[in-house]
Amino acid sequence: MIAYQSQKVSYAYFVVALLLFPLQVIVGLWLASNYAFTMPQGLVNVFPFATARAMHTNLLVLWLLLGFMGGAYYMIPEESRSELFSTKLAYLQLVLLVGAGVAALIGFIFGWTQGRPLLEIPFALDLVVVAGALLFLFNIGATIIRAKNWTVLQGTLLGGLVFLALLYLFGIPFYRNLSIDWYYWWWVIHLWVEGAWELVASALIAWVLMKITDVPRQVVEKWLYVIIGLFLFTGISGTGHHYYWLGAPKYWLWIGGIFSALEPVPIALMVWDTFRNVKERQGKIVNPVVWLFVVGCAVYHLIGAGVWGFLHTLPQINYYTHGSQVTVSHGHLAFFGAYALLNLTLFYYCFPQLKGFERFKQGAGTWGFWISGIAMMFLGLAFGVAGVLQAYLERILGLGFMNAQAQMQFWFKIAIGAGVIFLVGVLIMVVDLLALKPETAESG
Amino acid sequence: MTTRTAKAIFLLGTLSSGLLFLVLTWDTHRQIGALTHADRLSDEVVAGKRAFEQHNCNDCHTMLGFGGYYAPDLTRVYSRKGEPYVRAVISDPDKVLAKSFRKMPHQRIGAVEMNSLVAFFKWTNEIDTHDWPPQDHKKPTSSEARRLVSAAPLSRGAALFKANGCFSCHKLGGVGGDAGPALDDVGSRMNAERIQEQIANSKAFKPDSVMPSYSQLPAEDLRAMAEFMSEQGGGR
Repeated sequence: MIAYQSQKVSYAYFVVALLLFPLQVIVGLWLASNYAFTMPQGLVNVFPFATARAMHTNLLVLWLLLGFMGGAYYMIPEESRSELFSTKLAYLQLVLLVGAGVAALIGFIFGWTQGRPLLEIPFALDLVVVAGALLFLFNIGATIIRAKNWTVLQGTLLGGLVFLALLYLFGIPFYRNLSIDWYYWWWVIHLWVEGAWELVASALIAWVLMKITDVPRQVVEKWLYVIIGLFLFTGISGTGHHYYWLGAPKYWLWIGGIFSALEPVPIALMVWDTFRNVKERQGKIVNPVVWLFVVGCAVYHLIGAGVWGFLHTLPQINYYTHGSQVTVSHGHLAFFGAYALLNLTLFYYCFPQLKGFERFKQGAGTWGFWISGIAMMFLGLAFGVAGVLQAYLERILGLGFMNAQAQMQFWFKIAIGAGVIFLVGVLIMVVDLLALKPETAESG
Repeated sequence: MTTRTAKAIFLLGTLSSGLLFLVLTWDTHRQIGALTHADRLSDEVVAGKRAFEQHNCNDCHTMLGFGGYYAPDLTRVYSRKGEPYVRAVISDPDKVLAKSFRKMPHQRIGAVEMNSLVAFFKWTNEIDTHDWPPQDHKKPTSSEARRLVSAAPLSRGAALFKANGCFSCHKLGGVGGDAGPALDDVGSRMNAERIQEQIANSKAFKPDSVMPSYSQLPAEDLRAMAEFMSEQGGGR
């Protein structure tokens, strides 16, 4: 079913990503338990919350990036109408990145860390990651150049990936001044998720939409230009919403406030674009689950990243919610809506083709989508309520941190419940995808 | 809309925002030295930052509001809790947080590293964060602060009790930390002389005490605090 044999490398990336996802969720449940219950001192001494949090966030980044890379390896041959430059390099890259990831996770347990949230992996492993990224960009770039079939979709994807790799470099050095350190930390984190990753996501989603709807390429590419233009316009200067309180000049309150208030616009446009494509589709729907994920991803992206981000991005509100559980709520809904669902969309679109059939059994995918989607909503709401309580008790009434946390315990227990249900939904999808079966005549 | 217009929107949007961002980044670099008192960024402070990272403190505690949300923000910890508490909780978290429902790992931090960590917190305490975090900046509305504002004019000892961070570990009138015993009835158990000796050197009375020594304070300050405490008779 795949047009180019080298597209098969994407399968290896997807499978590793799929296995890491539930692991991330399990570590997340452990983190929530640390919030809700008292852990014995002896356990805290050897496996503190900080170590588990480093694992949770690094697993997230790793499985998402492996999904994006797999997506690129799947899409580029079809778009450039040629085999990949080298499948051997692609596998070598996977081994390097997964090796670095595993070494980092084990290293964290033994205190081998750079100690900066989300960028904990030590310098030596940074070098391995850079080597892997260079191999990746070289492989993709060489494929595109050799094929000489330039398209806007390829350009957006490659542009996003190069931007992503360049930004990573700002997170590597040691900064003497803590404020400057955080200033550039956000060049990695914010400009990834609200810049480079949005380019990658827009390109991949637009491509999947084009493939399943047969909407003309010109229309898809025209709207892609507008969407990524608005993403970068709002996203780049929108970085300012992280500069309100870190020791930077006060004008960032204006810049960050105004630009990030506009950040939901491109996401809303993406939702509108998705629905328009769905309406104007030429072909018939083969796998309804793929549609469910495409539309679900767009809508959840708007809720989690757009609405939840907007809710506490204005400086007047952010003053009270910054660094509270409100941030946790936004983080979970946004990453799930924008990027976890993007990867799952890719998996459900690519897996049947990689396995060589068209229509697959739709039941488990549908259940997995709704269970995980609704459970994540409850998780986000539980963290959100805890966060509003925290902002009020700690930041407005002036209760001590732990006194405020005591009042939030109930919501952390709710979060564990939502997390368990979320894990069930995730496991349904993982098992379903790994053992994806074609729909036979009698089951259809 | 034509593809040409779409392409123009993309280029204009990206370049205008990118240019604005780079110009402001340049200007931020110009100003950030003054806003963060970079002249006080000594090697000891930088060593403290390294220690802070090496022990992965930031994945439980927020700093400038960034990091893990599991434990209190540390931007203003130096002024909020006071240096003695900071030192005590880092060296003996199990004892200081014995009654807390959330624990802090024991990290085995040497004397040099401890000093640099404290220097680092002292430096972050001074960063101009536009009055963030609110709980460490806003007008006194907490009950602890209100209580002290009303008590301060009455007694020098009460003011010193607050200024030296005693509330970080001890409760008085239901307010304060619980690393040490509540002091509501301390006056019925000890006289002022005995209290003064214990403030100066707690370990002499209880060898496993985590309470720091305050013998470096002027004798008259110790005396005033001890007298204030000796008046706390627990409703006697």
